[in-house]
Amino acid sequence: MTRLLAEGVGWAVDGRFVLVDVELALQPATLTVLTGENGAGKSSLLEILAGTRTPARGAVKLDGVPLPEIAPAHLARRIARLDHAPGLYLELSALENVRLFHALLHPGTAVLDAAALLTDVGLASRDHMRPVRGFSRGMLQRTALARVLASGADVWLLDEPSTGLDRAGCALLADVLQRVRAQGATILLATHDPALLPLADRRLHLDHGHLQPAQVA
Amino acid sequence: MLLRLTWLLLQKDLRVAARSREVFGFMLLFALLCVVVFAFGFLREGEAAAAQVPGVLWVTLLFSGTVGLLRLFAAEEEGGTLVLAERTLAGATPLLLSKALMQLLFSGVTTLLLLPVVLVFFDASLAQPVLVLAALALGLVGQAMLGALVAALLVHVRLREVLLPLVLYPLLAPLVIAGVRITVLTQAGAPAEALEGWLALMLGFDALVLVTAPWLHARVVEL
Repeated sequence: MTRLLAEGVGWAVDGRFVLVDVELALQPATLTVLTGENGAGKSSLLEILAGTRTPARGAVKLDGVPLPEIAPAHLARRIARLDHAPGLYLELSALENVRLFHALLHPGTAVLDAAALLTDVGLASRDHMRPVRGFSRGMLQRTALARVLASGADVWLLDEPSTGLDRAGCALLADVLQRVRAQGATILLATHDPALLPLADRRLHLDHGHLQPAQVA
Repeated sequence: MLLRLTWLLLQKDLRVAARSREVFGFMLLFALLCVVVFAFGFLREGEAAAAQVPGVLWVTLLFSGTVGLLRLFAAEEEGGTLVLAERTLAGATPLLLSKALMQLLFSGVTTLLLLPVVLVFFDASLAQPVLVLAALALGLVGQAMLGALVAALLVHVRLREVLLPLVLYPLLAPLVIAGVRITVLTQAGAPAEALEGWLALMLGFDALVLVTAPWLHARVVEL
């Protein structure tokens, strides 16, 4: 069964189509890697799939339901994004950020063990209480990954998730992705990082707005 | 649910403001600076003009409120959480309400601290303090809600710092005019009945803004 489906999706910038009739079906428990040159439209496609950008043409469906028909709060619980921006409040600590996002997504539920999640993504406990403004890019990325984990979403849309991560961080990211895939998550990963390519169940390439199977060397 | 999400976001905003220490301090400093400038500007034969108190008070609050509004979405912009917050996590309405409450809190405290300063600088007193405070409260509610809406609508716009006052001030004109008139009339010792029309205008303005602003914001975010 297809979990996330893009049908004839098109997106234009300044009158020029950067996504042309994109057809994409993502299944549960799969990890799809999306590659493409800078400016190929990968980030735009991820935003459209997440429902935060309305396509100029076509539609995106989650479990057969068009995204505009799904309540934003429900959509946020189902689809998690990790973008170029960390998506964190810089004056809050890592612990406060993860707790806040969990509380916003799942109000009224039990308090999350955010410390365990942060430890899971390799953030030392001495850094849990520090405002993330002082974090390095890699530490921000680890905290953002913990935020995504805290969402409990079953669709992960990740845009260059290994940005700023050291070798250990990349290995940890790969472990996390394999784990959530095994738990049934649907993952779409836009990346230039060769280290993440072997994780893919399927590789796609975006070329001048056209989505096609990637040439595997 | 709406109240719970709004409260969560407001708590977050208060925590961020307490740590960054940039918004409230600047609002208050700017307000004090305005009062000092006005006090010297309105000196007549070595004495401050008490008759200018209504105008000085309302214009100062309008200006200092703008300082807060310009930084209202700074935390979201810096951390890249704006789209997350407005379109998915909590939804547009809790975000707007939390920002309006934050602005109301800061401008309310600024007003309470500023009022005695204005009275001292202009050697004046409030003839009917309850009515003036009621007018100020109505003015601040309208300014906070409408200001949060305009700040939210302009958040992705280049030159928003310039555009915010240009868009907001004309919209707030009825509220400010009514507030100034109420303050003038109370200083002149007018009976409460003479203020009813102006108070009704402020109440109507606030009611309209409180109902339409969240609706308009949600529609714009969906686009």
